[in-house]
Amino acid sequence: MAASKASRLGEEYETPKAAPPPAPVRPRLTLDFPRDRIWKTRIEKVNAELVVLTYGTIVAQLCKDFDSDYVEVNKQLDKMGYNIGLRLIEDYLAKSNTMRRCSNFRETAEMVAKVGFKIFLNITPTITNWTSDSKQFSLVFDENPFADFVELPDDNRAQDELWYSNILCGVLRGALEMVQMQVEAHFISDVLRGNDTTEMRVSLIRYIDDELPPEDD
Amino acid sequence: MVIYSFYIFDRHTECIYSKIWLPPTPNPPPPPPPSTNTPTLAPPAAAHDGTAPLPPAAPSRTGTHVDRRSVSAKAGDDAKLIFGTVFSLRNMVRKLGGEDDAFINYRTAQYKLHYYETASNLRFVMLTDTATLSMRSVLHQIYINLWVEFVVKNPLSPVEHKGGVGVKNELFELGLDQFVRGLM
Amino acid sequence: MSHLAAGKTAGAKEAAGLRYPSNGKTIYHRPLNRTKTAELSQSSFAYLFSEMVTYAQRRVTGIQELEKRLNLQGHPIGLKLLDLLLIREPARSQTRPLNIISLLHFIKINIWQHLFGRQADRLEKSSNPDTPDEYMIVDNEPLVNAYVSVPREMSQLNCAAFVAGIIEGVCDGAAFPARVTAHSVGGKEEGEMWPGKTVFLVKFQPEVLEREALIGRA
Repeated sequence: MAASKASRLGEEYETPKAAPPPAPVRPRLTLDFPRDRIWKTRIEKVNAELVVLTYGTIVAQLCKDFDSDYVEVNKQLDKMGYNIGLRLIEDYLAKSNTMRRCSNFRETAEMVAKVGFKIFLNITPTITNWTSDSKQFSLVFDENPFADFVELPDDNRAQDELWYSNILCGVLRGALEMVQMQVEAHFISDVLRGNDTTEMRVSLIRYIDDELPPEDD
Repeated sequence: MVIYSFYIFDRHTECIYSKIWLPPTPNPPPPPPPSTNTPTLAPPAAAHDGTAPLPPAAPSRTGTHVDRRSVSAKAGDDAKLIFGTVFSLRNMVRKLGGEDDAFINYRTAQYKLHYYETASNLRFVMLTDTATLSMRSVLHQIYINLWVEFVVKNPLSPVEHKGGVGVKNELFELGLDQFVRGLM
Repeated sequence: MSHLAAGKTAGAKEAAGLRYPSNGKTIYHRPLNRTKTAELSQSSFAYLFSEMVTYAQRRVTGIQELEKRLNLQGHPIGLKLLDLLLIREPARSQTRPLNIISLLHFIKINIWQHLFGRQADRLEKSSNPDTPDEYMIVDNEPLVNAYVSVPREMSQLNCAAFVAGIIEGVCDGAAFPARVTAHSVGGKEEGEMWPGKTVFLVKFQPEVLEREALIGRA
């Protein structure tokens, strides 16, 4: 076990040296960074079904907690996604080694679809249906890992009210807010509702200015 | 290489983390002459009465009684001044060199300040001695290997860190200290 | 059944029953094993888990309650995994485990391998004669805790309660009802090497042991 663990960690951290100091050796923390070379972060992976089932249990719990008030569940999922987005953007920037802001919203859409979704969900939704002012586009999901094992409840309401993957809207909203874009995102169709596609609409509301330090007085 | 201190500022311009390392040698660098144009940016590792400057609530090594409140107030003032300085510099650099330009460090007679800003407006600042080479990649590594791994991904740490909440967790602090001491 | 009915008469909305896309993108058309070895970013899991913990924290008052909630969230996953993993076994080993040891091995090997990419580190039976119903599954470094740094004031908390819930779900689904709890033991013995070391304590219901004893005699 120890050997396989060491080789696993070896990708990221050097394993503890032969003669450690008297202080306890904590494997995750023996950070011996190569100093000059920029870290090429690999993406650590887990079994997809762990992620998918975890998402499923979150949605199911929300449906239970809110007595199948699906409108409220959508809201909660969006909120959770927003919180995730605020965190995830840092990971995205670190992994993609992005220093520069996108120069326009079209470039942002490309980065979201081709880099963001690729890193975190291993899918690349199609960008389509731009408005002429380049402020609104759609992401069409040919694949949606979250929906893999899912059928919505047959209660005559869920298919009309619940947006099962609504967390993704919140993620986009939160992540883009951190790089100073206020956006609005919502699903307009979902194969889980019986539609032929799963499509999310994303609109740029405005660019957010830098926050200024409070005035001294 | 001597590292004096390290600060993180969030997008709301708040200082959400600061750490000061005591110099390993008994000879702290001399205080900056009052004539420098940024006198208040003295490396915290230099205090005027020769006592080692201390992080808030640390015991005094010299035996001189140090008023805790004033030390932490000074640390807070330093952080504000540092933010003001890097923020103005960054804005001026952008005005001169374009939106994609960034300043990397500046040097005074007494210390060198290294700056790294992420696209999410998180700002990392490190103060070192003047001989230290660029610490940009070091700050970048702190960001991707410590900040992202131990603060951002920690479920028990909030997403926003008002008042520094959630930054000072064991994994992050230990990792940072080991990393920085490994460099010195 | 209902998905056949849906395509039948377009326009005439069925009183009940689900709608399905016309292009066959339904769970009935998707091979069950398609995602068997698929991988996703560990970060995505970390963020979902974060939100699960945060959400649970908002609705509880104490650490015990929080762990209980995380346990409840894991439970249905265990129930599902039992079926899912058994159905993927070759036909002759598709039967569910029929005694405690084979059940625990199934968890230590199959469940762990599937979810975390490796087996659990150890399996132990309680050496205390007063608690013959207790077993321990040891994980030196639970994946779910990879990014968790527990503040001192919450030192009792182990977020792997979620995994305990999964184990409990597997046990319940296999008709070996049990209570499973997660305990940090990183402070003791080998703990210095494995600060996140966690013991999952599996306590079977009395009827499970009675049945086991009967089978043993037969």
